[in-house]
Amino acid sequence: MGRFIARRLLQAIPVFFGATFIVFTMVYAIPGDPIRALNGERPISASAQQALRDRYNLDDTLLVQYGKYVGGIFRGDFGETFRGRPVAEILKEKFPVTARLALGAFIFEVILGLIAGILAGLRRGSFLDNLVLVSTTVVVAIPVFVLGFVAQLVFGLQLRLLPIAGIQHGWVSYVLPSMVLGSLALVYIARLTRTSLVENLRSDYIRTAEAKGLSRPRVVGRHALRNSLIPVVTYMGVDFGTLMGGAIITEGIFNIPGIGREVFLAIQSQEGAVVVGVVTAGILIFILMNMIVDVLYAVLDPRIRLA
Amino acid sequence: MPDRVPTPGNQPADEEELRPEDAMERAASGGIQAESALATAAALEGGPSEYQASLWKDAWRQLRKKPLFLIASSLLIVFILMALFPGLFTDQDPRACDLANSAGKPQEGHWFGFDIQGCDYFTRVVYGTRVSLIIGLLVIGVDVVIAIILGSIAGYYGGFWDGFIARIADIWFALPTVLGGIVFLNALGERGLLQVSFVLIFLQWPTLTRLMRSSVLSGKEMDYVQAARALGASDWRIMRSHILPNGIAPVIVYGTIAVGIIISAEAALSFLGVGLQLPAISWGLMISAAQNRILIHPHLLLFPALFLSILVLSFIILGDALRDALDPRLR
Amino acid sequence: MIDRLSKKSARLAPVLVLALVAASCGGEQPAEEPEAEPTGGAFSMSICEPESLIPQIGAETCGSQVMNALFTPLIEFDPLTDEVIFAVAESITSDDNVNWTVNLRDGWTFHDGTPVTAQSFVDAWNWAAFGPNGAGNNYFFGPAGTNIVGYDDLNPEKGKPDAEELAGLQVVDDLTFTVELAAPFSEFPITVGYNAFYPLPESFYDDTDAFNEAPVGNGPYMMDGSWEHDIGVNVVRYEGYPGTPGNADAIEFRIYADLDVAYRDVQAGELDIADVPDAQIESGRAEFGDRFIESASSSFTYIGLPLYQEEFQDPELRKALSMAIDRQAIISAVFFDTLTPADDMASPVVQGYREGACSYCVFDPDAAKEMFDAAGGYDGTLTIWFNNDGGHETWIEAVSNQWRQNLGVESEFESAPFADYLGRLDQGIDDDPGTEGVTGPFRLGWVMDYPSMQNYIENLHGTGAGSNYTTYSNEEFDDLLAQGKSAGSLEEAISFYQQADDLILEDMPIIPMWFGLNQSVTTERVDNVIIDKFSFVDAALVEVAAE
Repeated sequence: MGRFIARRLLQAIPVFFGATFIVFTMVYAIPGDPIRALNGERPISASAQQALRDRYNLDDTLLVQYGKYVGGIFRGDFGETFRGRPVAEILKEKFPVTARLALGAFIFEVILGLIAGILAGLRRGSFLDNLVLVSTTVVVAIPVFVLGFVAQLVFGLQLRLLPIAGIQHGWVSYVLPSMVLGSLALVYIARLTRTSLVENLRSDYIRTAEAKGLSRPRVVGRHALRNSLIPVVTYMGVDFGTLMGGAIITEGIFNIPGIGREVFLAIQSQEGAVVVGVVTAGILIFILMNMIVDVLYAVLDPRIRLA
Repeated sequence: MPDRVPTPGNQPADEEELRPEDAMERAASGGIQAESALATAAALEGGPSEYQASLWKDAWRQLRKKPLFLIASSLLIVFILMALFPGLFTDQDPRACDLANSAGKPQEGHWFGFDIQGCDYFTRVVYGTRVSLIIGLLVIGVDVVIAIILGSIAGYYGGFWDGFIARIADIWFALPTVLGGIVFLNALGERGLLQVSFVLIFLQWPTLTRLMRSSVLSGKEMDYVQAARALGASDWRIMRSHILPNGIAPVIVYGTIAVGIIISAEAALSFLGVGLQLPAISWGLMISAAQNRILIHPHLLLFPALFLSILVLSFIILGDALRDALDPRLR
Repeated sequence: MIDRLSKKSARLAPVLVLALVAASCGGEQPAEEPEAEPTGGAFSMSICEPESLIPQIGAETCGSQVMNALFTPLIEFDPLTDEVIFAVAESITSDDNVNWTVNLRDGWTFHDGTPVTAQSFVDAWNWAAFGPNGAGNNYFFGPAGTNIVGYDDLNPEKGKPDAEELAGLQVVDDLTFTVELAAPFSEFPITVGYNAFYPLPESFYDDTDAFNEAPVGNGPYMMDGSWEHDIGVNVVRYEGYPGTPGNADAIEFRIYADLDVAYRDVQAGELDIADVPDAQIESGRAEFGDRFIESASSSFTYIGLPLYQEEFQDPELRKALSMAIDRQAIISAVFFDTLTPADDMASPVVQGYREGACSYCVFDPDAAKEMFDAAGGYDGTLTIWFNNDGGHETWIEAVSNQWRQNLGVESEFESAPFADYLGRLDQGIDDDPGTEGVTGPFRLGWVMDYPSMQNYIENLHGTGAGSNYTTYSNEEFDDLLAQGKSAGSLEEAISFYQQADDLILEDMPIIPMWFGLNQSVTTERVDNVIIDKFSFVDAALVEVAAE
């Protein structure tokens, strides 16, 4: 087990550097002068520009800039915005908001997804099964931003049930956005559970168990379900990492001041440090979640562990 | 769930094939794909050679009878016609716009009303089909080609190449590609069809490649392939005649669904303002323009959203039907 | 670029005149009359997240709204009458419009108790003008602004500056300093009301970052705590303020990332003052009645034409392009009537503006088409440029549609994020031919730095001026401007400016599009909410109704 984890860690390192370097390059190699963006339509003297460029290492070569940046990361310094605000502070402020949103979406999609998937899988071909299949297909087809607007229109404005923007109303504010954000993953979880369950229910070992006289609930609960959930669990783990990456669109539509929105605004105003900072943090989280899932997977499936 | 039901004679050759990433990858890229990969792989293992030869024929026979397939493909045909010959559906010029009609409600002769510029909205929405279909098909077309090449190399030759390609796919997978796409697109001066497609190609290639890889892996282990090898058939011939024909199945299935995903993604990018630009006619742009007015002019949002959803839905249903047809076990 | 401007002005004989100030604004103002008692209470208003709270750095409205409450400059403007009010300055006088003497009033202190002296101003101005400090408002001290002698030494093209202080600034004593301009500018006194010219306490230089979080100013309000990023800034009345005390006891500047949310909060009574989002204008007017406040803002939007491109060198073509645009239709359809069509090259908020001065801004498609054809039309497709991060797509598209409809010319579009966009504009005006610059009509805007017609027309159209992206160059125009800047009285200056305006109105190097309006709503809790020409709420005047 320890060796397994160690191997995973080792494999994660090139992924981390590779991914962050690509992002860094994308952000800093693109044309456009962020110092100029600071001043808007107003002129800026060459001297003032140079001073700011020096301050942010903008004249160093890309590799040097990257090196300095990574060095800073390990000291907990994610750089500064061009206004002088530490990116780490921005991260600390906005991540919890997105985390709450992600958690809400996660809870919503897992609970509803599992229930729908299990019920559908158990009652294959029934009305419920078809209902789940149809509704999930439709939800997948509708783009998330359309879903968001429709949700705002229906729940927020017509029915006036839920807040549709901002986070001033406490946890209720997160309800609608979480549902919208989790909708896609909900579909995947439901379907994956269903298929996986159906697959397992037809397999030999289940048939054997039933032939041996075990009761249906026991068969399903103890054997089929546990094996069926393996791919679902792995998906859930990966999905959580993605959720944390910040759902840019959802946050934009519902005006949630989270990390997704922040990053999108930063891209537009060419605040490279924020973009790279958020993405780097996201990559770290993603790698972490992957490792947890790997371990979980190894725990659940002995063949992996013992290989 | 292991990527194959273990039965004698089909134990995984090495740990690589059971990498958690495979299952995760499949799982993460969509339950649908997982199902298809699982199902198709299961279907392919241990079967007699005649089965493979008639896989596609069987599938077609099945499909022809399924109502969902028929509906979806009819819809798609309508959309394709809209894209190729918009004149069949509307006789107005999408650029003949009069501000006086700005945001007019649906009315006689203008079933979708007018947009903010005063253009006939039905015409604009119909013309929007072209861009969505082109981008969707182009991007996935390229992705499938990439997947076939890289996936075959990785699956068939294994070893170093497999590891190398896998690492690159890993890195790409770790990147928030949406963000990366936005960063890249935001900096471009001109964002036409090609530029946006270029970015979207990177979205799905790891998934499709992995799919191809696993089906090549399964195919490689088949008895008849071993036999062919023993008989001295070249790698190329084996790939082409034996492995590819069936190995492609999950790629095609997922690819079909992925067209829908890409169309949705382009709309999302245009909606965010980093996709296509003026004067392109794209549903994403229309929805973006409508967002400040959903209260007062909901029709501006409704109609392109409807078309977008239905087009994506058609591709998904098609993919689903294909998958069902290609896999006898899930029937 | 810079030198051409000053050389021309220097050629004119200096005019011996009374200070412009004396002529236009009644000379030295008497000391402030004793004021009414402040009304007390606390209120909240929405702002966006400021870029900076250091006056010499921040230029955007969010931060400036807060800084206006925290600082008081040498002069202020009455929000209703636009009259110049001498605040910290007792007088700003000059014999020749080049050498100015600034006399300060006694008794002004910073919120930390230290006195506001001539040194406070001079040091702050030097800090801003010193290139390596990277201050955003640095250019106000240079040729694009007040043009104080010595600016170039502090902002060399390459390398470190030789000096750290402007040669043109001299402290005479605690309450007096002198300013020497590189060129005569009769309106100098009204330019020093801007952020860049605020005084700074000595504590600023010890730790500028800390100062940014909790600025110590000399204004009617002082910081209550520090700047809570993305949440708000709280201020309380400064009891040691020698001027008119602020009415409210405390103000909460609440930061909103989204206009809609702020507006909804006012509707719900949880916020006292906010701007109105475009889409809500109609309903807002109805819902708020007399608590819906609309006033002219100084913003000016235009479409510039690249005169360095051969196709745009015929004025008739430019006029045709302008007359083919139905500005009112766009304003109604796209902007819900929240703007007014432009009819002059300067905003209605400045003196000298003349209604309907722009005869080629009138919508006349037939005349436009005639002119267009007579000028030989336009070969091929127009390329319209704009920055893609400002939400301009819709109206630009509308303009292109109108050009197609009325002139038969097709357009394509080029856009870029703002910084890049400016870079492309720069490349166009570079002397280096063959660089890929802007090749067609381009969208830009202007907001005034100080209330003067000169600020609009010189910066955009003066030869080599800082924001002149069309490369328009007209000696007569420059001469008239220079004469206006050294004029003896405001009336005289304005008459020169208007003559200059007439020249550009006839030449049409740009197509004026519209002027902005401020629209805000308030709850019943507050009264006397006045929005000035800079689009700021005069926070010190707001009265909170007794509970």
